[in-house]
Parts: sequence; structure tokens; C-alpha cells
Amino acid sequence: MTQVERIQYDNAIVRNFAYATLLWGVVGMTVGLLLASQLIFPALNFDTPWLTFSRIRPLHTNAVIFAFVGNGIFMGVYYSLQRLLKARMYSKALSNIHFWGWQLIIVSAALTLPLGLTTSGEYAELIWPIDIAIALIWVIFGINMFGTILRRREKHLYVAIWFYIATWVTVALLHIVRSFELPTSLIHSYPVFSGVQEALVQWWYGHNAVAFFLTTPYLGLMYYYLPKAANRPIFSYRLSIVHFWALIFIYIWAGPHHLLYTSLPNWAQSLGMIFSLMLIAPSWGGMLNGLLTLRGAWDRVRQDPILKFLVVAVTAYGMSTFEGPMMSIKSWNAVTHYSDWTIGHVHIGALGWNGMLTFGVLYWLLPRIFNTRLYSVKWANTHFWLGTLGIIFYAIPMYWAAVVQNILWRAFTPDGYLVYPNFLETVTQIVPMYGIRLFGGLLYFTGVIIGVVNMFRTISSGKLVANEVVEVPVVEEHKPAGKEYWHRWIEKRPVQMLLVSFVLVSIGGAVEYLPLSLIDENIPKISTVTPYTPLELQGRDIYVREGCVGCHSQMIRPMRFETARYGEYSKSGEFIYDRPFLWGSKRTGPDLAREGVGKLKKSDAWHYNHMLDPTSTSPGSLMPAFPWLHKNDLDTTTTMNKIRVLRKLGTPYEEGYEYIANDDLMVQAKRIAQSLKEAGIEQEGVERKEIVALIAYLQKLGTGIEPTAEAEK
Amino acid sequence: MKNRSIRIKVSLALLLLPLVSFAQDAGSAGNPQNFWENAFGSIVLLAGAIVVLAALIAIVKLFNIIVKMEELRVLREKGVEEIVEKYKQPEESWWKKFMKSATQYVPVEKEEDIMFDHEYDGIRELDNRLPPWWLWMFYASIIFAAVYWTYYHIADGPSLIDEYNKDMEVAQAKIDEYLATKADAIDENTVTLLTDEESLAMGQSTFETLCMPCHGMNGEGNSIGPNLTDDYWLHGCGVKNVFKTIKNGVIEKGMQSWKDQLRPVEIQRVASYIVFKLHGSNPENAKEPQGELCTPDEAEGGGATPAEANPDEAPGEEDTE
Repeated sequence: MTQVERIQYDNAIVRNFAYATLLWGVVGMTVGLLLASQLIFPALNFDTPWLTFSRIRPLHTNAVIFAFVGNGIFMGVYYSLQRLLKARMYSKALSNIHFWGWQLIIVSAALTLPLGLTTSGEYAELIWPIDIAIALIWVIFGINMFGTILRRREKHLYVAIWFYIATWVTVALLHIVRSFELPTSLIHSYPVFSGVQEALVQWWYGHNAVAFFLTTPYLGLMYYYLPKAANRPIFSYRLSIVHFWALIFIYIWAGPHHLLYTSLPNWAQSLGMIFSLMLIAPSWGGMLNGLLTLRGAWDRVRQDPILKFLVVAVTAYGMSTFEGPMMSIKSWNAVTHYSDWTIGHVHIGALGWNGMLTFGVLYWLLPRIFNTRLYSVKWANTHFWLGTLGIIFYAIPMYWAAVVQNILWRAFTPDGYLVYPNFLETVTQIVPMYGIRLFGGLLYFTGVIIGVVNMFRTISSGKLVANEVVEVPVVEEHKPAGKEYWHRWIEKRPVQMLLVSFVLVSIGGAVEYLPLSLIDENIPKISTVTPYTPLELQGRDIYVREGCVGCHSQMIRPMRFETARYGEYSKSGEFIYDRPFLWGSKRTGPDLAREGVGKLKKSDAWHYNHMLDPTSTSPGSLMPAFPWLHKNDLDTTTTMNKIRVLRKLGTPYEEGYEYIANDDLMVQAKRIAQSLKEAGIEQEGVERKEIVALIAYLQKLGTGIEPTAEAEK
Repeated sequence: MKNRSIRIKVSLALLLLPLVSFAQDAGSAGNPQNFWENAFGSIVLLAGAIVVLAALIAIVKLFNIIVKMEELRVLREKGVEEIVEKYKQPEESWWKKFMKSATQYVPVEKEEDIMFDHEYDGIRELDNRLPPWWLWMFYASIIFAAVYWTYYHIADGPSLIDEYNKDMEVAQAKIDEYLATKADAIDENTVTLLTDEESLAMGQSTFETLCMPCHGMNGEGNSIGPNLTDDYWLHGCGVKNVFKTIKNGVIEKGMQSWKDQLRPVEIQRVASYIVFKLHGSNPENAKEPQGELCTPDEAEGGGATPAEANPDEAPGEEDTE
């Protein structure tokens, strides 16, 4: 007779995270719809800084990743962890600090990003005080999770928990290393790494944010909710083991596939590519274990909307984890990179894998913690079909747009000239595809709204079981019935599992980063590359603030159709003073790496008018206007600290230069003001405006290898 | 039966080898410029590989039938019962066998046999083996990675920049080829005088390497060829005549034909250089005039010449030897 023990599971915290998931999901997707509309109707930027595409694009990505999916992770983990371990969460207080802390971080992100407070690293845009808050809250989550694991009434850890552990330790590592930065003020900092090195760190982080924030925790959730919902045993325990360890070890290496054909050394690019290809099987291990677990339950998939959501989620996972490695093959990446293909790809992942799994889990879990039944199965089915159709209508036009744009970018006349030398021609062609994409997004969003109403009605028909009482057997020494798998050993040892995971995920990053930072030959020096002047530096920070990098790359790949359009391909030595690096990853507008030299160079007045109204210089342009740059005075009080911090990081500004930097700044500003005046632009005091700094920066672009007379002065 | 499945596996593996090397090409980051052209070639190649695969499978099948008939004959000699014993079970098709060896799942009805005794919150786990096809895929990707790395980073395969430079050369060659065909449309009747600096500079460089030996560095003429700077010409003045003389030569007088060495556009450039730049330049050591004084009609036929622009210029004479 086994003894039993009465314990209580904490459902209130699960409910909180569920509400937050829904709320931020709706917010994040609404911003997404606005962005999609702005790409068709630029007037929807309303000439308002905090509503402008370039500033709110990171708001959309952050909201969906960290707010919608993030809260989804915590909801799913807090529910399943307690039950898989037969233990209540370690600390109610820590749970609450975790919950409110995370929401506070989201709110501060939602305020700072539209205000232009950003570091510009993709998915790592938040300013340094928020970075610290994230680290603290993540540690609190870790303590709470490990406290619960250590107090478990189950000897062994189920595969879902392996994934939770690997997620926690890797995200901590990624976030901390990516946030190495030196503040110049409470709201601004410069990254410790520069140029090529920062690019590598960024995409080691960015890629693995996808891997360890959007993938591994959700695989953990799949391993709990899918067999629960289908009431079927997991297909293969062996497969779980092999694909788990292979996945976390290989995933971390794949970051450089975001930098193919850039100035990153060749060997690092190849590592990124081959590890991405080796990732197909470990990723598909998760999909197979999910789909094959449904063997014998496919008849129920037809009736049960929850299973439908889970099946589409796992299928979308399989699709995007096949597509990803294919996009990492250099010759195919040459097509997809900088194009809308990537946008289609990430939305298969976000709307399909994360979105559908999140809603499947919500439909399964809410009726249980509210002790009721789902309000309407029919509505849930409607939500499912709208969601699935929405994904299709979203992704296909994006792929289509990518193909069209590539054909246009690459078209040469027989005598060697670009057929479409004006980049704008290649943009206006794909606007109809943007329209279909918006329709797809609207379908998906409509489904979500129906889902939210359905869940709201479900909740109101029940009552929260805040503390679910269960009887669990008192833990006994585990006695294996026969020979056991070797892997059972580590399943009893969460701390060892944490350490082994940490070592495995550290290897890839270290092997890629250390040679790059230690061996000088990896970044050949270019003698003509000079640090930014104070005005250019301020202009660059405005470029960062306005989020220009969201649409404009600064990285010309060694390809004929790129060098014919933009000039000489980019060299790693050109970026040594770039903090942050601004290579970008999407070209909704043209590349700007050589904007200040050669045939792309424009007059100061052109830039002045273009920023005021892009269509005045480029009829039909989708670019938002930035009229506030012409009104705002440039804040020169920050110059001193910026120079000081950059010198500390290695930029060769002379000792004491910070004290006279603003004098140089004014001289250069007046020169630009003079050239504007000569061109007939009469604006009183224009030399003090932000636009002048931005013009200075844009004119500097590309001069590193083609110094202009101006720079030589 | 065992032998047969091994045979099939071997022939499949042999067939996949060229496919793997093809995949390397595709994955080698080759020249993106040619991607769209290659895409068609790739599809053709793939279709071809499938056809070859199908043909080989058919041959293997045929071979198996022959073997089976032979077996049947031997068995028939031994006695009927054994034949019945051996063939009463219908044989599975190769596809079914392949699928079976690629999947090897324990059927749902028998899963109790491989169910672990542990459970987590009611979740049980089965002990199905790793799906073999999945494992093959994993191994294949690892082998590909090793081969790729070896080729590009140990065996010193081309870097991205090498490939870029090669692409640029190929593209330039294509442009030249095109321009050559386009320029072929020019002949002595349609040729016009080029006056842009770039064309004239190219003409000059051709002149200074090919024409200089006979006509002097500045067209002053020497013991071999006549002066090209004066107004007297042996074979007609103006760009049309000069073009014709360069193109066809005046073999009897020692002027060679250049049509096989210079593209028409290059002849046009050098002819323009002579007519527009050298003519009327009064170089030192000029050879005495030869031939006839150029008439305005002739010159007009050859386009404007500086001589017309400067009518007071001293008359010279001329000819392309």
C-alpha cells in the first residue's frame, strides 16, 4: 500500500500568464497589421515619430516574441512543471515577482521602443536598464523552476523538463553576452563588440533567441500537451533523447547563416551553413515524435479542434525547420537574404508553430483550471480554419514577392547594365503582394479575436480552481524492473543536466567567436577607415534611433548584381568603428553602405528634402517621412560622454578630444548648412537641427575605402 | 530475399552518389548570378537522375524475376510440396520492404510490448527505435557537412571572393561577346565618327600598339607608311574610307587587313581617332604628303573633320598605306 500525500497545484499563476499571453498576443498582432498597412499606405505613418514604421517594427517583433510567446512559455511551463514533478511551484512570491516583473519589462519595452530608445540589435533592441531587469527576472524564474525541480516527488525528469532546463540556461547565456555594453547615459549605450564581431555575437544571439526562446521551450510544451490532449504514449523515448541533445548542441552553431556573403570570414559562414544543415534531423526528431505520437488518434484529430491546432503547429515546425536549413545553403541564401522570403519564413514559425501551439494549449488548459467546458467547439474550429488560411495567405505572397524582387534585382541588359537601376521600381512591383499578405494577417487576427471571445466566455462560465488539490504517492526509491537506459542516470540529476547543457551550448559560440576576436587576419585593417566625427557620430545615433536599419542594409555582398547597383562589395575592415553594427537583414529600401560615394552620392539638399518628404525626390516611395528631424535641435550635451565611452572601447579619439568635440561638430554642421543654403534651402538655424547630423552621417557612408576630398580635409 | 534487399540498397546508394555531388554543387554557394539559369539545368539533371533510377530498378526487378524462375526450376526438380511451401506466402513488393526498413515502427496494436513502466502525470512512453530514414538523413547531413568543409576549407576550394571574381569575368566575357555581335553591324557604309573621349582614348591605345610601327607614334608616317595627319590621302579621307582601308587593308601596298584582329567597333574607334585627333595635328618629323587632296565631298561622307572646322589649316596629305 503506497502512502499518499495531499498537495496543491498553483493554478492562479497559470491563469495570470494565460491572460497576459492573450493580451499581448492581440497587441503584438495589431501592431503587425499596422506595419503591414504602412507598407502599402505610407500615409499611415501619420508623420508621427512613435507611429512610424521603422520605430514600431521592433515593437511588433518584441511583443510577439517576448510578450506573446514569452508569456505562453511561462503559462505552459508553470502548469506542466508542477504536474510532471508532482510538486507545487517553489515560491508563490517568486512566481508573482516573475509575472509582474515580466509584464513591467514588456510595458517599458512598449514605451521605449516607439520613443526611439533602442540599441538596434535585432530582438535585443531594449536599452541597458531593461536588459538588467530581464536578467534579474530570468534568474528569478530560474530559481523558482529549480526550486520546484529540487523539491519534486518524481525521481526522474520527463523530456519536457530537459527542454525547460536547456532553455533557461541558454537564454541566460545569450542574453548576458549580447548585452555587453557601456552606457553613455541612462538611456543610451554602445556595445562592447564592434563591426564584424558584433555582427557575429548578434546573430549568435538572434538565431538562438529563435532556437531557445521560440523552439526549445515550445518543444517542451509539445511533449506535455500533445500526449495529454491525444491521450497517447510518446512515440519514442530514444528519439527524445537523441534529438534533444543533438538539437541543443548543433543549434548554437548555426547563427552565422544570417551573415552569409557578408564581410564575416568565410570559415565562420561555412560553419553556420553546415551546422544548419545538420540541424534538419534533430529538429525533425521533435516533429516526428509529435506526429507519430498521434498514431491511433488521427480519427479524433478530425473532431477535436485542440488536436487540430497541435497538428498544424507541429507541421509548421517541421516545415520551417526544413526551410531554415535550405535558406542556410549559401547559393539559396543569396536569393532569400534581404528579401521578403525571410519574412514569410519567420511567420510560418511564429503564426504556425508558436501561435497555433499557444492557442491549442490555451483551449486545453483554460477549461481545466476553470473547471468548466469549452464554450464553443464550433468557434474553436472557426478560429482554427481562419488561422490556417491566414498563414497560407501570409506566406505565399511573401515567397512570391521574394522571387519577383530577385528577378528584378538581378536583371541585366545584354550589354551589362541593370534593367532596373532604380531600386524603387523593384519595390512598387511587390506592393500587391503586400496587400495579399495584409489580408492573410487579417484572417489570422480575426481568428484570434474569435478565440479570445470564446475563451472569455469559457472563463466566465467557470470558476478558477486557484489551488488544485491532488493526492500523490509519497516518493519512493526508484527500483528499476530490469536493465535501464543509461540516460535514466542523468534524468535523476537536474543540476548535472543543467551543467552538461551549459557546456554543450557554450562550445559552438566559443569556437566561432574566439578566433574572430583573437586572430587579427580575420579582419584585415584598412588604413583609410577613420572614426566618425562628432557630428557623424550623432547622426549615426539618430539613424539608430529612427530604426533605419529595419529597411536599409549596409552590407554589399560580393555578387555582380549588388556591386553593379551599389558599388564595391563591403570589407570587414570598414566596420571597425561601427558600434552598433548596422548591416541590417532586410531591404525594403536600397542598401546604403556606399551612400556617400560614387554614383550613389547625393547632395546634402537631396537628403534634406528626402527626409522631409521621400516622395518629393523618389515618387512612389514607401518610406515614411521624418519631418521632426528638421524641427528638433540636436542634443549636443551627450557628445562628451559618447566620445569618452567610445575611446574606452578602443576608438582612437585623442585624450581630451571630448572637450573640443562639439567645436568640430559645429564647424561641420555649419559647412552642411552652407551647402543647403547654396542649394536654395532657407531654414533659419538649420545647422543646429538633427537633420544636419543625419546628413553628415549619410555622406560618410562608404568613404572608408573611397575617401572623399571632404574626409581628407 | 535478404540478398535482394541488399542489392537494392547498393544500387540505390550508387545512384545517390552523383546526386550527392550534384547537391554539393548546388550548395557550394556557386555563382548566384547563374542561379536562375542553373535552376533549369538542375531540374533537368534531377529528372534525368529519376529516369535512370527507374530504369535501374526495372533492371533489378527483371533480374530478380530471372533468378526466381531459376529457383522455381530447381525446386520443381526437388518436388512440389516445397514449391508450395516456399511460394504460398505472397512476397512483399520492394517498396513495402523499403518502407518497412525505413520506418520499422512497432504497430499500434502491439505497443504494450514496448511501453515503459514509467509515467509522468499520466504520460507514458514507447520504446520505438529511431526511425531509420530519419537516422539516414542525419548521417547524410553529417557526411555532407564533412565533405563541404573539407573541400572549401581544407582542400582550399574557391572562396566567395574567388567565385565573385570568376562570375564577373564570365559576365564581362558575355558582354564583350554581345557587344561584338552588335558592333558587327557596323561597316564602311554605316560607320560614324566617334568623338567621345572614352572611344577616342581606346582608339588611341589601339593606334599606339598596332599602327605605330608603320605610321609613327603620332601618325607622322615613317619609312613604311604614309603621314596620316595631313590633308592628302592615298585611299580616301573621312571616317568611312579610313574604316574601309583599315578593315580590308591595301595588301599590294603593304597595308594589312585588320578585320580578323579588331572588332568592327574597335576599327571604328581607331578610325575616329585618326580622323578626329591625328588629322591636322601637325606632328614633328611629318612625312611629305602623298596621294590626293581631300575633297569636301569625301570628307563629308566621312563625317566632320577638324580640318573643316579649321579651314585655314595647312594642307597636308595622306593615306593609309
